[in-house]
Amino acid sequence: MNIALRFWSGYVRTTHRWPIIATIVPFIPVVAIWSIVANSGMFPRAFFPAPVDVMRSFISLTYKGILPDYLQDSLIRLLFGATIGVALGIPLGILIGSSRLAHRICWPVLLFFQAIGDIAWLPILLIWFGFGLTTMTFVIVYTVLFPIVLSTVLGVQSVHRDLARAAQSLGASPMRVLWEVTLPGALPNIITGLRNGLGYGWRALIAVEIIVGTSGIGFMMFDARRAGSTVEILLGMIVLGTLWYIVDAWILAPIERATGQRWGLVTS
Amino acid sequence: MKTLSLKNLRKTYFDPYAGSQVTAVHDVSLDVEQGEFVSVVGPSGCGKTTILNMIAGFIPYTGDEILIDGNLVKGPGPDRGVVFQSFALFPWKTVLENVGFGPKMRGVPKDERDRTAREYLALAGLSHAADRYPNELSGGMQQRVGVVRALANNPAVLLMDEPFASVDAQTRMTLQEELTRIWQERKPTVIFITHDVAEAVFLANRVVVLSKGRVLDQIKVDLPRPRVWDHLIEDETFKRLSAQVLQMVRAA
Repeated sequence: MNIALRFWSGYVRTTHRWPIIATIVPFIPVVAIWSIVANSGMFPRAFFPAPVDVMRSFISLTYKGILPDYLQDSLIRLLFGATIGVALGIPLGILIGSSRLAHRICWPVLLFFQAIGDIAWLPILLIWFGFGLTTMTFVIVYTVLFPIVLSTVLGVQSVHRDLARAAQSLGASPMRVLWEVTLPGALPNIITGLRNGLGYGWRALIAVEIIVGTSGIGFMMFDARRAGSTVEILLGMIVLGTLWYIVDAWILAPIERATGQRWGLVTS
Repeated sequence: MKTLSLKNLRKTYFDPYAGSQVTAVHDVSLDVEQGEFVSVVGPSGCGKTTILNMIAGFIPYTGDEILIDGNLVKGPGPDRGVVFQSFALFPWKTVLENVGFGPKMRGVPKDERDRTAREYLALAGLSHAADRYPNELSGGMQQRVGVVRALANNPAVLLMDEPFASVDAQTRMTLQEELTRIWQERKPTVIFITHDVAEAVFLANRVVVLSKGRVLDQIKVDLPRPRVWDHLIEDETFKRLSAQVLQMVRAA
Protein backbone atom coordinates (compact mmCIF):
# COMPACT_ATOMS: atom_id res chain seq x y z
CA MET A 1 0.00 0.00 0.00
CA ASN A 2 2.73 2.35 1.08
CA ILE A 3 4.79 1.56 -1.99
CA ALA A 4 1.78 2.10 -4.25
CA LEU A 5 1.12 5.47 -2.66
CA ARG A 6 4.73 6.48 -2.98
CA PHE A 7 4.74 5.39 -6.62
CA TRP A 8 1.57 7.41 -7.26
CA SER A 9 3.05 10.49 -5.59
CA GLY A 10 6.19 10.14 -7.69
CA TYR A 11 4.06 9.80 -10.86
CA VAL A 12 2.03 12.91 -10.04
CA ARG A 13 5.16 14.94 -9.38
CA THR A 14 6.92 13.68 -12.51
CA THR A 15 3.95 14.38 -14.76
CA HIS A 16 3.60 17.80 -13.19
CA ARG A 17 7.16 18.59 -14.26
CA TRP A 18 6.94 16.86 -17.64
CA PRO A 19 3.27 16.88 -18.72
CA ILE A 20 4.20 14.95 -21.88
CA ILE A 21 4.62 11.82 -19.76
CA ALA A 22 0.98 12.06 -18.69
CA THR A 23 0.07 12.09 -22.39
CA ILE A 24 2.16 9.05 -23.28
CA VAL A 25 1.39 6.76 -20.34
CA PRO A 26 -2.30 6.06 -21.25
CA PHE A 27 -1.10 4.77 -24.65
CA ILE A 28 1.18 2.14 -23.12
CA PRO A 29 -1.64 -0.42 -22.58
CA VAL A 30 -3.09 0.33 -26.04
CA VAL A 31 0.23 -0.34 -27.74
CA ALA A 32 0.85 -3.37 -25.50
CA ILE A 33 -2.47 -5.02 -26.40
CA TRP A 34 -1.92 -4.22 -30.06
CA SER A 35 1.54 -5.79 -29.88
CA ILE A 36 0.29 -8.93 -28.13
CA VAL A 37 -2.52 -9.46 -30.64
CA ALA A 38 -0.19 -8.90 -33.60
CA ASN A 39 2.45 -11.29 -32.25
CA SER A 40 -0.02 -14.00 -31.21
CA GLY A 41 -0.32 -15.17 -34.80
CA MET A 42 -4.09 -14.73 -34.81
CA PHE A 43 -3.83 -12.77 -38.06
CA PRO A 44 -1.21 -12.80 -40.80
CA ARG A 45 1.41 -10.12 -40.18
CA ALA A 46 0.87 -8.50 -43.59
CA PHE A 47 -2.81 -8.10 -42.71
CA PHE A 48 -2.38 -6.94 -39.11
CA PRO A 49 1.11 -5.48 -38.57
CA ALA A 50 2.68 -5.01 -35.15
CA PRO A 51 3.78 -1.66 -33.63
CA VAL A 52 7.39 -2.54 -34.48
CA ASP A 53 6.52 -2.84 -38.18
CA VAL A 54 4.81 0.53 -38.17
CA MET A 55 7.76 2.06 -36.36
CA ARG A 56 10.14 0.59 -38.95
CA SER A 57 7.99 1.97 -41.75
CA PHE A 58 7.96 5.37 -39.99
CA ILE A 59 11.76 5.43 -39.87
CA SER A 60 12.17 4.28 -43.45
CA LEU A 61 9.59 6.71 -44.88
CA THR A 62 11.05 9.56 -42.85
CA TYR A 63 14.55 8.64 -44.05
CA LYS A 64 13.40 8.57 -47.67
CA GLY A 65 11.78 11.94 -47.13
CA ILE A 66 8.32 10.81 -48.28
CA LEU A 67 6.60 11.23 -44.93
CA PRO A 68 8.00 14.71 -44.16
CA ASP A 69 7.08 15.87 -47.68
CA TYR A 70 3.54 14.54 -47.48
CA LEU A 71 3.09 15.93 -43.99
CA GLN A 72 4.29 19.31 -45.14
CA ASP A 73 1.89 19.26 -48.09
CA SER A 74 -1.06 18.41 -45.86
CA LEU A 75 -0.19 21.02 -43.24
CA ILE A 76 0.34 23.78 -45.79
CA ARG A 77 -3.03 22.99 -47.38
CA LEU A 78 -4.71 23.08 -43.99
CA LEU A 79 -2.97 26.30 -43.00
CA PHE A 80 -3.76 27.97 -46.31
CA GLY A 81 -7.44 26.97 -46.19
CA ALA A 82 -7.76 27.78 -42.51
CA THR A 83 -6.23 31.25 -42.96
CA ILE A 84 -8.76 32.10 -45.65
CA GLY A 85 -11.52 30.59 -43.51
CA VAL A 86 -10.54 32.71 -40.50
CA ALA A 87 -10.13 35.85 -42.62
CA LEU A 88 -13.67 35.40 -43.96
CA GLY A 89 -15.28 33.87 -40.89
CA ILE A 90 -14.42 36.37 -38.16
CA PRO A 91 -15.60 39.51 -40.02
CA LEU A 92 -18.72 37.68 -41.21
CA GLY A 93 -19.42 36.49 -37.66
CA ILE A 94 -18.97 39.99 -36.26
CA LEU A 95 -21.32 41.43 -38.88
CA ILE A 96 -24.02 38.81 -38.26
CA GLY A 97 -23.54 39.01 -34.50
CA SER A 98 -23.80 42.76 -34.23
CA SER A 99 -26.42 43.60 -36.86
CA ARG A 100 -29.94 42.32 -36.45
CA LEU A 101 -30.63 42.87 -40.15
CA ALA A 102 -27.53 40.94 -41.22
CA HIS A 103 -28.54 38.18 -38.82
CA ARG A 104 -32.03 37.92 -40.31
CA ILE A 105 -30.68 37.80 -43.85
CA CYS A 106 -27.66 35.55 -43.38
CA TRP A 107 -28.67 33.10 -40.68
CA PRO A 108 -31.08 30.86 -42.68
CA VAL A 109 -28.68 30.80 -45.63
CA LEU A 110 -25.82 29.95 -43.29
CA LEU A 111 -27.68 27.04 -41.72
CA PHE A 112 -28.72 25.76 -45.15
CA PHE A 113 -25.15 25.65 -46.41
CA GLN A 114 -23.85 24.26 -43.14
CA ALA A 115 -26.11 21.26 -43.66
CA ILE A 116 -24.43 20.47 -47.00
CA GLY A 117 -21.37 18.71 -45.65
CA ASP A 118 -17.95 19.47 -47.05
CA ILE A 119 -17.70 16.17 -48.91
CA ALA A 120 -21.10 16.70 -50.51
CA TRP A 121 -19.54 19.56 -52.46
CA LEU A 122 -16.87 17.35 -54.04
CA PRO A 123 -18.80 16.10 -57.10
CA ILE A 124 -19.63 19.60 -58.30
CA LEU A 125 -16.22 20.97 -57.29
CA LEU A 126 -14.43 18.28 -59.27
CA ILE A 127 -16.41 19.28 -62.35
CA TRP A 128 -15.75 22.98 -61.79
CA PHE A 129 -12.15 23.02 -60.60
CA GLY A 130 -10.83 19.55 -61.40
CA PHE A 131 -8.42 17.52 -59.25
CA GLY A 132 -6.29 20.26 -57.74
CA LEU A 133 -5.47 22.71 -55.02
CA THR A 134 -8.53 24.90 -55.71
CA THR A 135 -10.89 22.03 -54.92
CA MET A 136 -9.00 21.13 -51.76
CA THR A 137 -8.80 24.72 -50.56
CA PHE A 138 -12.50 25.24 -51.22
CA VAL A 139 -13.43 22.25 -49.09
CA ILE A 140 -11.16 23.27 -46.21
CA VAL A 141 -12.30 26.89 -46.23
CA TYR A 142 -15.87 25.67 -46.35
CA THR A 143 -15.34 23.31 -43.41
CA VAL A 144 -13.41 25.78 -41.27
CA LEU A 145 -15.73 28.69 -42.01
CA PHE A 146 -18.94 27.51 -40.34
CA PRO A 147 -17.70 26.71 -36.83
CA ILE A 148 -15.82 30.02 -36.81
CA VAL A 149 -18.77 32.08 -38.03
CA LEU A 150 -21.20 30.41 -35.63
CA SER A 151 -18.88 30.79 -32.62
CA THR A 152 -18.04 34.38 -33.49
CA VAL A 153 -21.75 35.23 -33.71
CA LEU A 154 -22.28 33.59 -30.34
CA GLY A 155 -19.26 35.39 -28.92
CA VAL A 156 -20.36 38.81 -30.15
CA GLN A 157 -23.88 38.26 -28.83
CA SER A 158 -22.55 37.15 -25.45
CA VAL A 159 -20.79 40.47 -24.84
CA HIS A 160 -22.92 42.34 -22.30
CA ARG A 161 -24.62 45.39 -23.84
CA ASP A 162 -23.48 47.54 -20.91
CA LEU A 163 -19.81 46.97 -21.84
CA ALA A 164 -20.27 48.61 -25.25
CA ARG A 165 -22.31 51.38 -23.62
CA ALA A 166 -19.62 51.95 -20.99
CA ALA A 167 -16.96 52.23 -23.70
CA GLN A 168 -19.11 54.66 -25.70
CA SER A 169 -19.75 56.90 -22.72
CA LEU A 170 -16.00 56.91 -22.02
CA GLY A 171 -15.50 58.35 -25.49
CA ALA A 172 -14.88 55.27 -27.66
CA SER A 173 -15.74 55.55 -31.37
CA PRO A 174 -17.58 52.61 -33.02
CA MET A 175 -14.24 51.28 -34.33
CA ARG A 176 -12.70 51.50 -30.86
CA VAL A 177 -15.73 49.72 -29.37
CA LEU A 178 -15.23 46.93 -31.89
CA TRP A 179 -11.52 46.68 -31.11
CA GLU A 180 -11.58 47.21 -27.33
CA VAL A 181 -14.87 45.52 -26.40
CA THR A 182 -16.51 43.36 -29.06
CA LEU A 183 -13.41 41.48 -30.22
CA PRO A 184 -11.87 40.69 -26.82
CA GLY A 185 -15.32 39.82 -25.49
CA ALA A 186 -15.90 37.39 -28.34
CA LEU A 187 -12.34 36.03 -28.32
CA PRO A 188 -12.86 32.96 -26.09
CA ASN A 189 -15.71 31.83 -28.34
CA ILE A 190 -13.74 32.60 -31.48
CA ILE A 191 -10.88 30.43 -30.26
CA THR A 192 -13.26 27.60 -29.46
CA GLY A 193 -14.64 27.98 -32.99
CA LEU A 194 -11.13 27.92 -34.40
CA ARG A 195 -10.37 24.80 -32.45
CA ASN A 196 -13.47 23.04 -33.79
CA GLY A 197 -12.94 24.41 -37.28
CA LEU A 198 -9.35 23.22 -37.52
CA GLY A 199 -10.39 19.81 -36.20
CA TYR A 200 -13.09 19.44 -38.85
CA GLY A 201 -10.80 20.93 -41.49
CA TRP A 202 -8.07 18.42 -40.73
CA ARG A 203 -10.50 15.52 -41.16
CA ALA A 204 -11.97 17.01 -44.34
CA LEU A 205 -8.49 17.48 -45.76
CA ILE A 206 -7.63 13.79 -45.37
CA ALA A 207 -10.92 12.82 -47.01
CA VAL A 208 -10.27 15.17 -49.91
CA GLU A 209 -6.68 13.99 -50.30
CA ILE A 210 -7.95 10.43 -50.58
CA ILE A 211 -10.22 11.41 -53.46
CA VAL A 212 -8.38 14.30 -55.10
CA GLY A 213 -4.85 13.98 -53.89
CA THR A 214 -1.55 13.61 -55.55
CA SER A 215 0.32 13.97 -52.26
CA GLY A 216 -0.36 14.36 -48.55
CA ILE A 217 -1.10 12.03 -45.65
CA GLY A 218 -4.53 11.08 -46.98
CA PHE A 219 -3.04 10.28 -50.36
CA MET A 220 -0.29 8.22 -48.72
CA MET A 221 -2.87 6.11 -46.92
CA PHE A 222 -5.00 5.55 -50.00
CA ASP A 223 -1.98 4.83 -52.14
CA ALA A 224 -0.85 2.27 -49.58
CA ARG A 225 -4.22 0.55 -49.87
CA ARG A 226 -3.61 0.10 -53.60
CA ALA A 227 -0.24 -1.49 -52.79
CA GLY A 228 -1.81 -3.49 -49.98
CA SER A 229 0.54 -1.96 -47.40
CA THR A 230 -1.36 -2.08 -44.12
CA VAL A 231 1.73 -0.76 -42.34
CA GLU A 232 1.58 2.60 -44.11
CA ILE A 233 -2.18 2.90 -43.60
CA LEU A 234 -1.75 2.43 -39.86
CA LEU A 235 1.19 4.80 -39.87
CA GLY A 236 -0.98 7.45 -41.57
CA MET A 237 -3.69 7.02 -38.96
CA ILE A 238 -1.21 7.37 -36.11
CA VAL A 239 0.33 10.48 -37.67
CA LEU A 240 -3.13 12.05 -37.97
CA GLY A 241 -3.98 11.44 -34.33
CA THR A 242 -0.61 12.51 -32.99
CA LEU A 243 -0.43 15.66 -35.03
CA TRP A 244 -3.89 16.79 -34.03
CA TYR A 245 -3.13 16.10 -30.39
CA ILE A 246 -0.03 18.29 -30.58
CA VAL A 247 -1.83 21.16 -32.29
CA ASP A 248 -4.80 21.04 -29.95
CA ALA A 249 -3.12 20.39 -26.62
CA TRP A 250 0.03 22.42 -27.10
CA ILE A 251 -1.20 25.38 -29.14
CA LEU A 252 -4.99 25.87 -29.10
CA ALA A 253 -5.87 24.82 -25.57
CA PRO A 254 -3.21 27.07 -23.94
CA ILE A 255 -4.48 30.07 -25.94
CA GLU A 256 -7.99 29.31 -24.76
CA ARG A 257 -6.77 29.15 -21.16
CA ALA A 258 -4.79 32.38 -21.44
CA THR A 259 -7.83 34.42 -22.51
CA GLY A 260 -11.26 33.41 -21.29
CA GLN A 261 -10.28 31.66 -18.10
CA ARG A 262 -7.89 34.39 -17.03
CA TRP A 263 -10.64 37.00 -17.39
CA GLY A 264 -13.28 34.92 -15.68
CA LEU A 265 -15.40 34.76 -18.83
CA VAL A 266 -15.44 30.97 -18.78
CA THR A 267 -14.97 28.83 -15.73
CA SER A 268 -12.18 26.34 -15.93
CA MET B 1 -25.00 77.54 -14.06
CA LYS B 2 -27.11 74.72 -15.46
CA THR B 3 -25.08 71.65 -16.33
CA LEU B 4 -27.98 69.48 -17.37
CA SER B 5 -31.30 70.59 -18.73
CA LEU B 6 -34.20 68.36 -19.77
CA LYS B 7 -37.03 70.05 -21.65
CA ASN B 8 -40.31 68.16 -22.07
CA LEU B 9 -38.49 64.88 -22.38
CA ARG B 10 -40.76 62.17 -23.76
CA LYS B 11 -40.37 58.52 -24.65
CA THR B 12 -42.93 56.60 -26.63
CA TYR B 13 -42.36 53.30 -28.29
CA PHE B 14 -44.44 50.91 -30.35
CA ASP B 15 -45.38 47.68 -28.66
CA PRO B 16 -45.68 45.13 -31.51
CA TYR B 17 -47.53 42.61 -29.31
CA ALA B 18 -50.14 45.05 -28.03
CA GLY B 19 -50.16 46.81 -31.41
CA SER B 20 -50.20 50.26 -29.82
CA GLN B 21 -48.00 53.16 -28.74
CA VAL B 22 -46.82 53.07 -25.15
CA THR B 23 -45.62 56.19 -23.37
CA ALA B 24 -42.93 55.44 -20.77
CA VAL B 25 -41.95 59.04 -20.02
CA HIS B 26 -44.36 62.03 -20.20
CA ASP B 27 -42.88 65.49 -20.72
CA VAL B 28 -40.30 65.49 -17.95
CA SER B 29 -38.50 68.79 -17.42
CA LEU B 30 -35.57 69.09 -15.05
CA ASP B 31 -32.64 71.46 -14.51
CA VAL B 32 -29.53 70.42 -12.64
CA GLU B 33 -26.97 72.97 -11.45
CA GLN B 34 -23.25 72.37 -11.63
CA GLY B 35 -22.02 70.44 -8.60
CA GLU B 36 -25.48 69.31 -7.60
CA PHE B 37 -26.28 65.78 -6.43
CA VAL B 38 -29.77 64.81 -7.58
CA SER B 39 -31.40 61.50 -6.69
CA VAL B 40 -34.23 60.24 -8.86
CA VAL B 41 -36.42 57.82 -6.97
CA GLY B 42 -39.53 55.90 -7.93
CA PRO B 43 -41.09 52.45 -8.08
CA SER B 44 -39.98 50.03 -10.78
CA GLY B 45 -41.53 50.83 -14.13
CA CYS B 46 -41.74 54.57 -13.37
CA GLY B 47 -39.35 55.37 -16.24
CA LYS B 48 -36.30 56.37 -14.21
CA THR B 49 -33.87 54.11 -16.01
CA THR B 50 -35.40 55.12 -19.36
CA ILE B 51 -34.70 58.77 -18.52
CA LEU B 52 -31.11 57.97 -17.59
CA ASN B 53 -30.59 55.98 -20.79
CA MET B 54 -31.91 58.92 -22.81
CA ILE B 55 -29.57 61.36 -21.06
CA ALA B 56 -26.68 58.94 -21.60
CA GLY B 57 -27.62 58.78 -25.28
CA PHE B 58 -28.08 55.01 -25.26
CA ILE B 59 -31.65 55.23 -26.57
CA PRO B 60 -33.20 57.93 -28.79
CA TYR B 61 -35.63 60.37 -27.19
CA THR B 62 -38.64 62.31 -28.33
CA GLY B 63 -39.76 65.61 -26.86
CA ASP B 64 -37.92 68.91 -26.95
CA GLU B 65 -34.29 68.56 -25.93
CA ILE B 66 -31.58 67.37 -23.58
CA LEU B 67 -28.78 69.89 -23.04
CA ILE B 68 -25.40 69.29 -21.40
CA ASP B 69 -23.62 72.59 -20.79
CA GLY B 70 -25.85 74.02 -23.52
CA ASN B 71 -25.00 71.30 -26.07
CA LEU B 72 -27.69 69.09 -27.53
CA VAL B 73 -27.35 65.36 -26.72
CA LYS B 74 -27.07 63.17 -29.83
CA GLY B 75 -25.94 59.75 -28.65
CA PRO B 76 -23.43 58.64 -26.02
CA GLY B 77 -20.40 60.81 -25.26
CA PRO B 78 -17.60 61.34 -22.76
CA ASP B 79 -19.31 64.42 -21.27
CA ARG B 80 -21.68 61.99 -19.50
CA GLY B 81 -19.95 59.37 -17.37
CA VAL B 82 -22.11 56.35 -16.58
CA VAL B 83 -21.95 53.97 -13.61
CA PHE B 84 -23.90 50.77 -14.28
CA GLN B 85 -25.75 48.43 -11.98
CA SER B 86 -23.88 45.59 -13.73
CA PHE B 87 -20.56 47.42 -13.06
CA ALA B 88 -19.67 46.92 -16.77
CA LEU B 89 -15.93 46.70 -16.15
CA PHE B 90 -13.89 45.32 -19.04
CA PRO B 91 -12.95 41.81 -17.85
CA TRP B 92 -9.86 41.64 -20.12
CA LYS B 93 -8.37 44.83 -18.73
CA THR B 94 -6.72 45.32 -15.35
CA VAL B 95 -8.24 47.72 -12.85
CA LEU B 96 -5.65 50.33 -13.85
CA GLU B 97 -6.46 49.90 -17.56
CA ASN B 98 -10.17 50.12 -16.84
CA VAL B 99 -9.80 53.43 -15.01
CA GLY B 100 -7.43 54.74 -17.70
CA PHE B 101 -9.82 53.80 -20.51
CA GLY B 102 -11.47 57.23 -20.86
CA PRO B 103 -8.15 59.12 -21.03
CA LYS B 104 -6.87 56.46 -23.49
CA MET B 105 -9.79 57.19 -25.81
CA ARG B 106 -8.86 60.88 -25.65
CA GLY B 107 -5.33 60.00 -26.76
CA VAL B 108 -3.62 60.74 -23.43
CA PRO B 109 -0.13 59.12 -23.39
CA LYS B 110 0.25 55.96 -21.29
CA ASP B 111 2.41 57.47 -18.50
CA GLU B 112 0.01 60.30 -17.96
CA ARG B 113 -3.17 58.21 -17.99
CA ASP B 114 -1.61 55.68 -15.62
CA ARG B 115 -0.80 58.53 -13.25
CA THR B 116 -4.38 59.84 -13.48
CA ALA B 117 -5.78 56.34 -12.97
CA ARG B 118 -3.59 55.75 -9.89
CA GLU B 119 -4.67 59.06 -8.42
CA TYR B 120 -8.35 58.11 -8.79
CA LEU B 121 -7.75 54.60 -7.46
CA ALA B 122 -6.19 56.17 -4.37
CA LEU B 123 -9.30 58.31 -3.98
CA ALA B 124 -11.38 55.12 -3.70
CA GLY B 125 -8.80 53.32 -1.54
CA LEU B 126 -8.00 50.83 -4.31
CA SER B 127 -4.30 51.48 -4.94
CA HIS B 128 -3.42 47.90 -4.00
CA ALA B 129 -5.77 46.44 -6.66
CA ALA B 130 -4.38 48.33 -9.66
CA ASP B 131 -2.91 45.30 -11.42
CA ARG B 132 -5.71 42.86 -10.71
CA TYR B 133 -8.46 41.80 -13.09
CA PRO B 134 -12.08 42.70 -12.25
CA ASN B 135 -13.14 39.08 -11.66
CA GLU B 136 -10.57 38.90 -8.85
CA LEU B 137 -12.36 41.66 -6.90
CA SER B 138 -15.45 41.63 -4.67
CA GLY B 139 -18.64 43.28 -5.92
CA GLY B 140 -18.11 46.33 -3.72
CA MET B 141 -14.56 46.80 -5.00
CA GLN B 142 -15.70 46.35 -8.59
CA GLN B 143 -18.25 49.11 -8.26
CA ARG B 144 -15.67 51.42 -6.63
CA VAL B 145 -13.65 50.89 -9.82
CA GLY B 146 -16.80 51.61 -11.85
CA VAL B 147 -17.27 54.94 -10.07
CA VAL B 148 -13.67 56.16 -10.39
CA ARG B 149 -13.47 54.97 -14.00
CA ALA B 150 -16.34 57.34 -14.81
CA LEU B 151 -14.85 60.14 -12.66
CA ALA B 152 -11.35 59.83 -14.14
CA ASN B 153 -12.75 60.93 -17.47
CA ASN B 154 -13.89 64.26 -15.99
CA PRO B 155 -17.48 64.14 -17.23
CA ALA B 156 -19.80 67.15 -16.97
CA VAL B 157 -22.42 64.85 -15.42
CA LEU B 158 -22.08 61.54 -13.64
CA LEU B 159 -25.05 59.27 -14.37
CA MET B 160 -25.51 56.46 -11.86
CA ASP B 161 -28.10 53.76 -12.55
CA GLU B 162 -28.87 51.90 -9.31
CA PRO B 163 -25.13 51.35 -8.90
CA PHE B 164 -25.29 49.78 -5.44
CA ALA B 165 -28.33 47.56 -6.00
CA SER B 166 -26.32 44.38 -6.51
CA VAL B 167 -24.01 44.50 -3.47
CA ASP B 168 -24.83 43.33 0.05
CA ALA B 169 -26.43 45.70 2.58
CA GLN B 170 -23.30 46.42 4.67
CA THR B 171 -21.13 47.06 1.63
CA ARG B 172 -23.87 49.28 0.21
CA MET B 173 -23.77 51.56 3.28
CA THR B 174 -19.98 51.83 3.06
CA LEU B 175 -20.19 52.63 -0.64
CA GLN B 176 -22.83 55.28 0.00
CA GLU B 177 -20.65 56.97 2.63
CA GLU B 178 -17.64 56.82 0.31
CA LEU B 179 -19.65 58.32 -2.52
CA THR B 180 -20.70 61.30 -0.39
CA ARG B 181 -17.06 61.77 0.66
CA ILE B 182 -15.82 61.67 -2.93
CA TRP B 183 -18.61 64.01 -3.98
CA GLN B 184 -17.56 66.52 -1.31
CA GLU B 185 -13.94 66.35 -2.44
CA ARG B 186 -14.56 66.63 -6.18
CA LYS B 187 -18.05 68.18 -6.44
CA PRO B 188 -19.13 66.36 -9.60
CA THR B 189 -22.67 66.88 -10.93
CA VAL B 190 -24.52 63.64 -10.25
CA ILE B 191 -27.83 62.09 -11.33
CA PHE B 192 -28.39 59.07 -9.11
CA ILE B 193 -31.18 56.64 -10.01
CA THR B 194 -32.49 54.40 -7.25
CA HIS B 195 -35.63 52.74 -5.89
CA ASP B 196 -34.23 52.91 -2.34
CA VAL B 197 -35.74 55.94 -0.58
CA ALA B 198 -33.22 56.09 2.29
CA GLU B 199 -30.34 55.90 -0.19
CA ALA B 200 -31.84 58.72 -2.27
CA VAL B 201 -32.19 61.02 0.75
CA PHE B 202 -28.83 60.05 2.27
CA LEU B 203 -26.86 60.98 -0.84
CA ALA B 204 -28.61 63.92 -2.45
CA ASN B 205 -29.04 67.67 -2.28
CA ARG B 206 -32.37 67.18 -4.02
CA VAL B 207 -34.67 64.20 -4.47
CA VAL B 208 -36.87 63.96 -7.56
CA VAL B 209 -39.84 61.62 -7.12
CA LEU B 210 -40.97 59.97 -10.31
CA SER B 211 -44.22 58.15 -10.95
CA LYS B 212 -45.66 56.66 -14.12
CA GLY B 213 -43.26 58.65 -16.23
CA ARG B 214 -44.00 62.00 -14.58
CA VAL B 215 -42.20 64.13 -11.98
CA LEU B 216 -44.40 63.92 -8.90
CA ASP B 217 -42.45 66.27 -6.65
CA GLN B 218 -38.97 67.53 -5.79
CA ILE B 219 -37.63 67.77 -2.27
CA LYS B 220 -34.56 69.68 -1.12
CA VAL B 221 -32.32 67.83 1.32
CA ASP B 222 -30.39 70.21 3.59
CA LEU B 223 -28.74 67.65 5.80
CA PRO B 224 -25.22 68.60 6.92
CA ARG B 225 -22.17 66.88 5.43
CA PRO B 226 -20.18 64.73 5.83
CA ARG B 227 -23.03 62.30 5.99
CA VAL B 228 -22.50 59.13 7.99
CA TRP B 229 -25.09 56.42 8.60
CA ASP B 230 -24.29 56.20 12.33
CA HIS B 231 -25.47 59.79 12.76
CA LEU B 232 -28.20 60.04 10.17
CA ILE B 233 -30.02 56.86 11.14
CA GLU B 234 -31.21 58.66 14.33
CA ASP B 235 -31.48 62.12 12.77
CA GLU B 236 -34.98 63.66 12.95
CA THR B 237 -34.70 65.62 9.69
CA PHE B 238 -33.44 62.55 7.84
CA LYS B 239 -36.30 60.45 9.21
CA ARG B 240 -38.89 63.08 8.34
CA LEU B 241 -37.60 63.54 4.78
CA SER B 242 -37.35 59.79 4.21
CA ALA B 243 -40.89 59.26 5.47
CA GLN B 244 -42.16 62.06 3.26
CA VAL B 245 -40.50 60.60 0.13
CA LEU B 246 -41.56 57.08 1.03
CA GLN B 247 -45.22 58.09 1.29
CA MET B 248 -45.06 59.69 -2.13
CA VAL B 249 -43.39 56.68 -3.70
CA ARG B 250 -45.86 54.25 -2.15
CA ALA B 251 -48.88 56.34 -3.09
CA ALA B 252 -47.59 56.61 -6.63
